[in-house]
Amino acid sequence: MIGYLIRRLLYSIPILIGVCFLTFVLFYMTASPTEIARRNLSAKNPTAQQIKDWEHQHGYDKPKWQQFVDTTEGLFLLRLGRSDSVKGERVMTRIKESWFPSFEIALLSFTAAITINLSLALVVAYFRGTYLDIYGTSLCVFMMSVTYLVYIIGGQFVFGRLLKLTPVAGFLPGWESLRFAFLPVVVAVISGMGASVRQFRTFMLDEMNQDYVRTARAKGVSEAQVLFKHVLKNAAIPVLTTSVQAIPGLFLGSILLESFFNIPGLGNYLVDAINSQDFAVVRAMVFIGALVTIFGYILTDISYALVDKRVRLE
Amino acid sequence: MKNAKVGSNAGILIQLFGTAVLPGCTLPRTSRVSRHDFMNYKNLTYRFRSIGTFFICLCVVVFSAGCGNSPYPAANSSRSILYLALTDDVKTLDPTIAYDVDSGSIVNLLYSSYFKYDYLKRNPLQLDLCLGARMPIVKKVRYLAAMPDGSKKMVDGQLWTFQIRSDLHFQNDPCFPHGQGRQITAADFIYSFKRMADPSVPCPIVAYFDTKIEGMAAYEAHNRKLINEHKKPDYSYPIAGLQLDRRNPYIFRILLNHPYPQLRYLMAMSFTAPLAHEAVEMYGAHLATHPVGCGQYVLAKYVPRGEIVLKTNPNRPVEYYPNTGMPGDRAAGLLVDAGKQLPLVNTVQFNIIREGITAWNEFRQGYLDATGVSQNNFQQAMPRPDYLSPDLAARGIRLVKSVGIDVDYYIFNMDDPVVGGFSARARHLRQAISMAIDEREEIDLETLGLGTPAQWLVPPGLFGYDPHYVNPYRVFNLQRAKALLAEAGYPNGIDPTTHKRLVIYYDNSYTDAAGRQALALHVRELDALGIDVVARSYRYNVFQDHVNNGQFQFANWGWVADYPDPENFAFLLYGPNKRPGPNESDYNNPEYNRIFAEMQTMNDTPARAHLIAELRDISVRDCPLVYQRHSEAYALVQPWLKNYKPNPIALDSPEYYRIDGALRAKLQHRWNKPKVWPLVLVLTLLIASAVPALNVVKQRANRHVRRSKPGGNAGS
Amino acid sequence: MQAFTSLFTISNLVPIVAIVVVLAGIRRAGRQPLWAEAYRRLGRNRAAIFSLVIIGVYCFVATLDSITWKSNALAQPESVITHLFNAMHVEAERTYSAPFAKMTTGEPHPHPLKGWHVLGTDGSGNDVLLETLRGCRTSIIIGGFTSLLITPVAVLLGMLAGYFGHRVDDLIQYLYTTLGSVPGILLNIAFLLVLGPGLVNLCFALGITSWVDLCRLVRGETLKHRDREYVRAARALGVRDIRILVTHILPNILPVVIITVTLNFSSLVLSETILSYLGIGVPAGTGSWGNMIDAARLELARDPIIWWNLTAASTALFILVLALNVFSDALRDAVDPRLRSS
Repeated sequence: MIGYLIRRLLYSIPILIGVCFLTFVLFYMTASPTEIARRNLSAKNPTAQQIKDWEHQHGYDKPKWQQFVDTTEGLFLLRLGRSDSVKGERVMTRIKESWFPSFEIALLSFTAAITINLSLALVVAYFRGTYLDIYGTSLCVFMMSVTYLVYIIGGQFVFGRLLKLTPVAGFLPGWESLRFAFLPVVVAVISGMGASVRQFRTFMLDEMNQDYVRTARAKGVSEAQVLFKHVLKNAAIPVLTTSVQAIPGLFLGSILLESFFNIPGLGNYLVDAINSQDFAVVRAMVFIGALVTIFGYILTDISYALVDKRVRLE
Repeated sequence: MKNAKVGSNAGILIQLFGTAVLPGCTLPRTSRVSRHDFMNYKNLTYRFRSIGTFFICLCVVVFSAGCGNSPYPAANSSRSILYLALTDDVKTLDPTIAYDVDSGSIVNLLYSSYFKYDYLKRNPLQLDLCLGARMPIVKKVRYLAAMPDGSKKMVDGQLWTFQIRSDLHFQNDPCFPHGQGRQITAADFIYSFKRMADPSVPCPIVAYFDTKIEGMAAYEAHNRKLINEHKKPDYSYPIAGLQLDRRNPYIFRILLNHPYPQLRYLMAMSFTAPLAHEAVEMYGAHLATHPVGCGQYVLAKYVPRGEIVLKTNPNRPVEYYPNTGMPGDRAAGLLVDAGKQLPLVNTVQFNIIREGITAWNEFRQGYLDATGVSQNNFQQAMPRPDYLSPDLAARGIRLVKSVGIDVDYYIFNMDDPVVGGFSARARHLRQAISMAIDEREEIDLETLGLGTPAQWLVPPGLFGYDPHYVNPYRVFNLQRAKALLAEAGYPNGIDPTTHKRLVIYYDNSYTDAAGRQALALHVRELDALGIDVVARSYRYNVFQDHVNNGQFQFANWGWVADYPDPENFAFLLYGPNKRPGPNESDYNNPEYNRIFAEMQTMNDTPARAHLIAELRDISVRDCPLVYQRHSEAYALVQPWLKNYKPNPIALDSPEYYRIDGALRAKLQHRWNKPKVWPLVLVLTLLIASAVPALNVVKQRANRHVRRSKPGGNAGS
Repeated sequence: MQAFTSLFTISNLVPIVAIVVVLAGIRRAGRQPLWAEAYRRLGRNRAAIFSLVIIGVYCFVATLDSITWKSNALAQPESVITHLFNAMHVEAERTYSAPFAKMTTGEPHPHPLKGWHVLGTDGSGNDVLLETLRGCRTSIIIGGFTSLLITPVAVLLGMLAGYFGHRVDDLIQYLYTTLGSVPGILLNIAFLLVLGPGLVNLCFALGITSWVDLCRLVRGETLKHRDREYVRAARALGVRDIRILVTHILPNILPVVIITVTLNFSSLVLSETILSYLGIGVPAGTGSWGNMIDAARLELARDPIIWWNLTAASTALFILVLALNVFSDALRDAVDPRLRSS
């Protein structure tokens, strides 16, 4: 197990270097330092000299390979550096400031989604074959066919404007944040509900046709008990493993949700950085995103091994 | 599942594809029999239940936290807090660098300058003293000036003498001894000029000064050399044109190598606000988020992309609400607070809201104290121009019109072989295109009738604007335009060399929904002329790059005033200001340049107005620009916000606003009664719909036990 | 005839060829027992037939919109649908107008309309029905062309990785893990910026992110088949690796690939709206449901609410995606070998 983990961690180093390289190449293909300088100089018409000064200050006048080596080395040592924007804030400081809203919303929607989807899947599985099952699964297909954008626009319109239950957008720290998190979480849960419930239902029905379930039924165990005790336990394996893959999302947050609901989180930070071509921030955030993604993969494997004793990590 | 190939990073994931990628397909059954199915299940269901309980608790907490839609803590409604919206996050709070409106609206509250614009006076806008103790004294001087090439030359310059107030202090900040803001002297004003000329600080308007203030260019060159040698810039290097008085620490002088009356306006901008060298030395680039100013407010909280909160500065310069205004101001209640010390609200909170629809919703719910009327909420606010919708009027909301000092236009690239140059052919082509663009239609459809069709550069409200002048090539006339096109050698839009339609490349930065709509209109107008328009949309900074490098034929551009002087607009066509200066069309007419240079230094006399008219007539005939409009906007103001009067240039208005907190608390409560019943109804219906099914299942379960056969089929 | 050929451009052959190839492929596959059986099952599924008809209608509209000609030598080429609307005198108006309205709305002084519009007009005065129909082509191209781009690449790389293992496997896995570790939206944006805006470029950008999943799947499937007896037997008989891959393994994994691609199709269609929101969707002038829905963010705040644009686009999108989802479900049930074995 330990050996496996070490090997996995070592294996992630070339991947991270690859990610850095990809970011670097893509960035230089999409933007020239001159363009970034112009963007960040905040002047209506910066002079050529000002642009040159800026490039020098931010190290964009060094040879390209040197830039790549320097920045990659910095990232691996978790020295994320300063933003290229006029503010020039430390990326690490900003991450410390903004991780919480992203994390809160992601965690809430993650738990809420698993709970609700699993319960609904159980309900649908319990009522399998009845009109409820048919309507439920058709509803799932319906819900899968609506675009995310419509959910967001509709959610703000109904909850914020018509029912006046939640703020339309914004964020406050502390307990107040729950009021703001409510709507984004609802949208996140509803938009993912269709696909997940259908998937979970299949897991359950798979289990229900197993021999041990038949045995249990034959012994006179009630339908509800079969479902809640035996089926749920075994269906938990695929449910868990598919769900753990969502963990990287906890870090970056949902880019769309954050920008629509005006949440000062990391997703928004990343989008701003892309739009303002803030290379220093983009490369740092992509690097950390990749780090978390790889961590998520490893976690998936571990959780899988923990839940199912037959899987051994070697 | 047993043979999970682990060791490669995706080993487990592959095994999962049966479930992850193909939801609904059944897994091979043989592998699924488990030996420990009946073990541990209690533990797991227990865990499951606890998650459920957790979630229910969470819901309860959410709703007990008050299921209101207020974006603020509940008690704040009645407090003296002003809530405003910014359309974007500030780029910087550094007064030497900030130039965009969003940053400026914060910076101007944190940093005061020598002058400020009078809050109530209009037409013309009037400069009042702020940190200054008396109006500057301007003397003509003839002296030996240093030229850029190193030689010396006798010039007719100006010497400006400024005297500042003696009761000024910086805000309290750890960069000062004991954290107490020290006194401000004339040296702090000189320091901010030196910082503007520091090549490592990207001051956007340094070009306005560095060729004019004696010795500033030399200072810049000296420091650039130091920076290239990887040394720190040297602020002690003297600038001959910036002089301190030996006897009086509150007096400084600026020596200009040619007359520049616009300097007084620049002394009202935050660039020239006094800066503490202690702060710059301590915070460096962090000055962008850690302001140390001398304004009415200090920065209390800054959440990037979230909110910016300002609180009253205990060391603020003592200033009062003006005692006199324009006719009608008293009736409008704008003089109720006359003579009171500023500011009138203790706290100003700016919410950074990008989505216009969100800001509009929050305003309607009373959570923003004022908002602009944009194209999107226009009809909701105003069924027809100047008429507030009854719904909003009944709430006591006021509609306030404001006129911007700006101009939007299309530019032709004067260096382009097809549309550029001074030949009769190119001029006719430009004139034809100019006449084919129906500005009335553009204003009606893009800005819903708001805006004045521009005849030339100078906007209304500035000296030199002639309300009766009509630009002969900006009258929409498609017949005449087609005739001009034929004169230019393109009959019916056909290029005789290729026998195809003439192709015009139209560069723009219209990438959002409203922009796409505007673009479609512009293309339609030019298509009607019979030419082919190829529209190319870029992100704004890419577009800016194209225009600044002259890689365009025909493009959209605009200019917003830095200060209310026609020079700030007429210089858009001044030859020496060519790209990347503000003259993006690269129009270079010697006659225009000569008259402009003469007009630039004059006071506002009839002779100056005459010269401005001459400039206009010359440039209108050459038609390097197609003038679109001068902007107009409406703002909506909540009934509890007092003293609202828009100012097209100054950004310090929140200092003068007053909030009636009791009224706000009452109305916010009345407007935002949450409705829970539809939610309850939907949930009840959903649960109720499950009841009949419950019976079905019960019957089936009984049957199953009897027959001991598995139930419904698993197919999906 | 001379005049006709100059007005009727060669690019019209592309959609026709595409349709012929797809139909021929379907027909040819029907000769194989596996697919013949699948067709039979599909034929019994009423929902599948119904959704197939709907998809067919969308494809038909998309084809009509792809066939263009110029009405005269100087005009821009216009599609069959545009010519049809022109013939019915459905002209562009000044700006918004409600369905069946007589006056424009959304401007200070309403103007009378030139004609009437079943679904109203949008902000630029274009008929919303026409715009909605033009959106079909964009969606089908985004789904279809992207699938066409990624499938060969993903299948080839996945099979190589799964079959040869070792170095090849490591390299290909490295490639897609690296790509998969960068947030997808970021890659989309970056590639679109590199390639520049445009429908085809959009497909490439979407392809960059969506081939990874398919490649992983193919690799896993190949891995499973590699050690089956029939492959071992072929190898023992000295059949070359390439031949084993093409004639033995490929036919066996093809059903899974086809099902995945069909499932993927609908998510590609949906992702167009998200890209439009981010400002990197298809350029203006190309009919696009994403752009129409994006515009609704502004339109919903108006009073009277401009609802027809959003409704038309999202309904059209919803029906297509729903039909695709139902059909791919049915297809999976019909083809899935694991279901058949039971």
